[in-house]
Amino acid sequence: MRKFTKYWAIFKIQLINSLAYPAELFWRSIIVVLFLWVFAQLWKLPFAGTESGVIAGLTYADTLWYLMLTEAIELSRTRLIRNISEAVKDGSVAYLLNKPYDFLLYQLSTSLGETFFRWLLTTLLGGAMAWLLVGPPPDPRGWPLVLVAILGSWVLNFCMSALIGLLAFVTEEVAPFEWVYQKMIFILGGMLIPLDFFPAWLQNLARCLPFAYQTYGPARLFVDPSLERFAALMLGQFTWIAGLSLLLALAYNRGLRRLAINGG
Amino acid sequence: MNEYHPTRTPAWILLIMRELKFLLAVWKTNIASAMEYRAAFIAQMLGMILNNAVYFIFWVIFFDRFRDVRGWELSDMFLVFGVAASAFGLAAFLFGNAFYLSEIIARGRLDYYLSLPRPILLHTVASRSISSGLGDFTYGILSYLASGYCTWDGFGRFLCGVVLACMAFTSFMIIVHSLTFWLGNAAGFAGLALNAMVTFALYPVTLFEGFSKLILFTIVPAALMGALPAEFVRAFSWGALGKLFLGALLLLGLAVLVFHRGLRRYESGSAIQVEV
Repeated sequence: MRKFTKYWAIFKIQLINSLAYPAELFWRSIIVVLFLWVFAQLWKLPFAGTESGVIAGLTYADTLWYLMLTEAIELSRTRLIRNISEAVKDGSVAYLLNKPYDFLLYQLSTSLGETFFRWLLTTLLGGAMAWLLVGPPPDPRGWPLVLVAILGSWVLNFCMSALIGLLAFVTEEVAPFEWVYQKMIFILGGMLIPLDFFPAWLQNLARCLPFAYQTYGPARLFVDPSLERFAALMLGQFTWIAGLSLLLALAYNRGLRRLAINGG
Repeated sequence: MNEYHPTRTPAWILLIMRELKFLLAVWKTNIASAMEYRAAFIAQMLGMILNNAVYFIFWVIFFDRFRDVRGWELSDMFLVFGVAASAFGLAAFLFGNAFYLSEIIARGRLDYYLSLPRPILLHTVASRSISSGLGDFTYGILSYLASGYCTWDGFGRFLCGVVLACMAFTSFMIIVHSLTFWLGNAAGFAGLALNAMVTFALYPVTLFEGFSKLILFTIVPAALMGALPAEFVRAFSWGALGKLFLGALLLLGLAVLVFHRGLRRYESGSAIQVEV
């Protein structure tokens, strides 16, 4: 347990650091208001065309609250891929090897510390906007479950981002992988559109992939909380985190073997 | 006493020619420098094409399920996405520093450009080329070709619309980043403005009415980057061309004015030696 206290300390330092530039934090977060306003304009049209006001089990209000949470999760992401790939490319990863901590756990701690307040502020601003547009949020009794799911989403994102960042060991440029990963979250992760609105075959495909467990899962749980949904989400997140962690450890150790250190 | 020479080229034309030659030389250097990392350059370009294609799947799914948005269909989205992506890409590839101007101003890195006998703003924004911009530009053309509006004269209008939209977009970026002269560092605000411009440009203009539509033509002139050039590409009209040209010209004038007004407040970072 003592081993993890240093990572807790790193997390706390990063948490405080993230408040050092409140203006930057604000400008990054306020964008959610704009996005939600545009989404509100877009989604009110399909719902206005239905008699029941329900599409694939979601109302207009559900959809807006769903999109608020997916946006908050996406907008609070850090530059993790770039940080890791830069550390690999400029060789600074080598200087971290003799430090008394694990490089990947260090990155996880800083990433979570950096994410938290970004997410909180984005959620507060987005929540205020969504409330203004479509009324009160979904049942608050489901919120604790959603928080656990969001934490799982962050860890899952870390595993995938770190894997992409470590690609710098083998390829000169990782930015294209980062862009495509982000767009996969947008579409197959259900960030821009709930998976429920997809054609059946694409829904089935998306539900098998890790992207949906990062945004769709927590946001769908938020608008329609239930223990069954939570259990299925936890199982999916845990399975993907376990598999990707294994792959990540493997990729990191293989990458280190390729590392060439010149001078110092 | 000067003699009258009827064939003598006016001084202002000579000046423009000289600056254009300079601009071409800067772009040539940028391309040569990007080619030093050829694999990364090609990867960024292809990656950006793929990135845009994956993003566009959203609209394919949306229109497959809901058919139209107040008269806008998938073909219209292909068209507007084509114009906006190409305009964005052209701006990123040719005037890449327009995206980093706040940082350049805040860190005192304008010193380098101030010390040279060339137009400061032009030199600064053209001094960086973002390789992925070429991917956006190419994707825009592919999107236009897929839109179903493709004809030979339409393609001419597409290129004309892209150039004017690029001019409007770059000018807008310069204006918001130039606020750094007054605010200290406007990078966060400029990021918000960039997101607003691109988001509004990439959504059907028919979604917005009244006051919000007014904003799209004024404060966040996204209509000049998406809807208006797309309308011009669909069918030629002097009205659309006039609005587009006038809008782009006004924004360019405003960008030059705001930047040079701000420049009076600039404090040197003594960074000449770093850049040379």
